[in-house]
Amino acid sequence: MNRSAWIFALVTTLSVSAACSNDPVAVVPHAGTLTLRLTTPHVDDGALTFTLSGPPINNVTAANASLRLFTRGSGDATIIGVLVGDLATGAVVTLYVPDVKAVAHYSAHVLEVADRDDALRASLTGYALAVTP
Amino acid sequence: MSSIRRSTRFLRVPARAGASFLLLFALSGVAPAFAQSPTTGSWREEIQRLKDGARVPHARRASVTRSVATIVTESEPNNTIATADSVALGDQASGTVNPVGDADAWFVDLAAGLFFSVDVDAEQDGSTLDATLELLAPDGHSLAFNDDFDGFDSRISYRIPASGRYYVVIRAFGNTGGPTLQYAINFGKVLCDAVGTEQEPNDAPATASRVTIGDSAVGELCSADANPAGDVDYWAFTGQAGMTIELDVDAAAHGLLVDPAVALFANDGTTRVAFNDDADGADPRLQYSITATGTYFAAVSTLTDPGGNPFPYTLHVRTVTPGPGDPITVRAEHLGLALGLAFGSAGDLFVSDLAGNRVMRVSGQGAVTTFATGIPNPTGIAFDAFGGLLVASPNGVYRVTPQGQTTRFLSDVGFAVWVAVGSDGRIWVTDLLDRSLRRYSATGRFETKFALQSIGEFGPGPLAIGPSGEPYFSNGTEIWKLTSDGPRRVLGARFVLWGFAFDVTGRIYAPAPEAGRLLAFEASGATRADPYAVGPDAPIAMAFARDETGVTLARLFATDRLVGQVIEVNPASVPDRGLALGILPPPFSLEVAAQALLGVGVLSPSDLQYLDALGNRNGRYDVGDFAAFVRTVQALEGSNR
Repeated sequence: MNRSAWIFALVTTLSVSAACSNDPVAVVPHAGTLTLRLTTPHVDDGALTFTLSGPPINNVTAANASLRLFTRGSGDATIIGVLVGDLATGAVVTLYVPDVKAVAHYSAHVLEVADRDDALRASLTGYALAVTP
Repeated sequence: MSSIRRSTRFLRVPARAGASFLLLFALSGVAPAFAQSPTTGSWREEIQRLKDGARVPHARRASVTRSVATIVTESEPNNTIATADSVALGDQASGTVNPVGDADAWFVDLAAGLFFSVDVDAEQDGSTLDATLELLAPDGHSLAFNDDFDGFDSRISYRIPASGRYYVVIRAFGNTGGPTLQYAINFGKVLCDAVGTEQEPNDAPATASRVTIGDSAVGELCSADANPAGDVDYWAFTGQAGMTIELDVDAAAHGLLVDPAVALFANDGTTRVAFNDDADGADPRLQYSITATGTYFAAVSTLTDPGGNPFPYTLHVRTVTPGPGDPITVRAEHLGLALGLAFGSAGDLFVSDLAGNRVMRVSGQGAVTTFATGIPNPTGIAFDAFGGLLVASPNGVYRVTPQGQTTRFLSDVGFAVWVAVGSDGRIWVTDLLDRSLRRYSATGRFETKFALQSIGEFGPGPLAIGPSGEPYFSNGTEIWKLTSDGPRRVLGARFVLWGFAFDVTGRIYAPAPEAGRLLAFEASGATRADPYAVGPDAPIAMAFARDETGVTLARLFATDRLVGQVIEVNPASVPDRGLALGILPPPFSLEVAAQALLGVGVLSPSDLQYLDALGNRNGRYDVGDFAAFVRTVQALEGSNR
C-alpha cells in the first residue's frame, strides 16, 4: 500500500466510524416550546421580576393574554424579565427554544414580587420558577 | 321660644338649606338618588342663620285683602271637621287654642276660581300663640299648610279648584295650648291691589314698569285672576356700558316667610343674563357688569310658591364699584349647567355640564365640542398624572382618556363633590356622603380617608391643592386646609365659596355664586378684593389658564352655571401665574420604564421618583411601581391588554 492508499483508507475508516458512532454531538436538535411555571404561596401577586438562564432561547412570550411580559438579554445565556398581571401558580411564560431536549439545562429564579396593591413582598419564601416541557 | 324648639322648627323646613351643594342638583332638575341620606346636622346652623336673619319685627303686608263682615267666636268642641264652626267669606273668626293639643276647625263655603285668603292675626296682636294653619278640601284631605308667614302668624292663599265646603284648622305649633293663645282668622279673597310704584299689568318686558338706577321700586307678587300660575313683575331701566349694577330685593327681610327671585334680561327681553335666588337669606341680590348700553329688564318672581300668598317687596337698583377683575370677558358659552373647570396640558379648557351629564372641551379659539358623555351629574374636574381627566360625580369619580373614553375610576366614593390632583400625582376627593376627604394613589388605589365632620357647615366640598401640597377645601363659607395636625381654618367669607384656585404666591381666588361675584384673598386668608369681579351671574369654579405646553399662566377663568358661560377676568388684575396643577405625563414610554427596571437605560432621578410615587412609595423604583405604571398606561390607552 502506498502513501496515498493509506491516507484514503484512513479517511474512509474514520468516516465510517463517525457515521456509526453514538456520540451525542451528533443528535439532531428539536426546536419547540417550553414553559416557565411559577409556584407562589400567595393568591394576590401582581408583578414579579425573574432571571432565566441556560441554553439559547429564541423568544419568550407571556403564557396568557392577561399577563404582560418585558425582557432584556443579559449576556448570551441569561434573560431578565418582568411579568405584570394577576399571577398565580402555573404557566407564566412560553419559551421558544432551538432544542426542547435541553430543558433540564434551564434555570429560573424569582428576584422581586409585588402584590396587586403594588407593595413589595418582604419575603420570597415559597416562590419558585421551573422550566418544563 | 326655647332653643330646642327653634332647632326643631328649622328641621321642618329642609328647603331652607338652599345654599347647599345639594341644591345645585335640585336646581339642575337632576337631583341624584341617595342610597343613604347625607348627614344634615351641620346644616342646622346655616338654616338657623338664614331664618334668624329673616325674622325681623313685623312689616305689614301691602296687600291686605280682607274686609271684616262679621266676627264669629268659636264654639267648642270644634276640634274636627265634623264639629267645625261655620264662617262666611269676609268673616273674622276668633278663638283660643286651649287646652294643650287643641285644634279649632272652621268651615266656609267657597266658589270655584276664588283666590281664597285665610290669614291669622295672633302674635301681632300680642297673643302668645304661634299658629299653624291648614286648609282642607271638602273630602277632608289637606290642600295647604302654613306656619310663620308673617312673624309667627300664618296665612294661606289658595285658588279654589271646585265649589264646595272647605275647612280651616288652626293649631298651636308643637301642639301646645293655653288661655293666652288667642287668635283671629280673617276669611277673605285675595284682591291683588296695586301696590307701591308698580303698574300692573307688568308681567312682560313690553309692559314693564320703569325704575331708575339709584332708585327703589316697590311692588307685590300676587297671583291675580289673570295670572293664576304666579305673578312676575318686570322693571325696565337703562344701563350704561362699563357700569356694574346691583339688583337687591327685600321681602323676607320684611319679616315674611317668602322666597323671591330676581332675573336680569337683556335689551331683547328674552336673553337672561343674570339670576339670583338666595343671596341674602331667602332674598335675592345680583350684580352684573353691563357691557352694552341699553334697556335692561329686572324680573321679580317667586319660585317656591308662585300661586300662593301675595307679598310685597322692594327692588333696589343701584350701581356698585367694580372690582379689579372687571370687566370680565365671555370666552365660551352654551356650556349647559357649567360647573367644574380645568385646563389641559395643551391649553384646552374643559368644563363639566352638571345637567348635561357631559364634559365639554373649549379650544383656544373658543370652539366648543363635547369631550365625554354619560357621566352622571359631573361636578369638579381635574387632570391626573397621566393626562386623564378625572370627573367627580354622585356615582364616584370617572376617568376620561385623552381620546374621550370614559370609565368609572373610583367607585368607593359615596358622593364625590370635587377632585384635585397633587404635585405628587395623588388624587384627593371630597365625599359628601360621609363628609370626608379621601386620598388615592395616582393610579387610583385608595390610601386613606380623613373624617372632616368637625369643620362644620356643609363639610368638605370644592377642593384645591395649595402651594405646599396640602389640600384646601371649602365647607361653605370657609376655606380650610388639611395639615399634619388636622384641619385648620384658613379664611371665612359672607357667602358660600365654590371651586377656588391658587396662584403661585398662594393667593386664593374664589367664586361666590350666591352673591354673583368673585372674591380674592391673600395667602394669609385676608380679603384682598371683594368684589374681585362681578358676574356674569353665578360664577362657581375658577382656574388659571395653561399654555400649549402646559405652563400655567397669569390668566384667570371662571365658569358660570346659570348662564352656561366661561368668563375671563381682566388680565391686568392678575399679578401672578396660577399654581401649577397636578403633574405632567412622563416623557418616557412603558418600554423605557421596563428597561430601566431591568437594568438598561437611564431614567432621571425625578422620573424614578415619579414612578415610585405612582406605586408603593418606598423610596426606590421597583416592580410594584412598574406594575402601577403599566396599569396607568393601559388606562391611558383605553386598553385591557
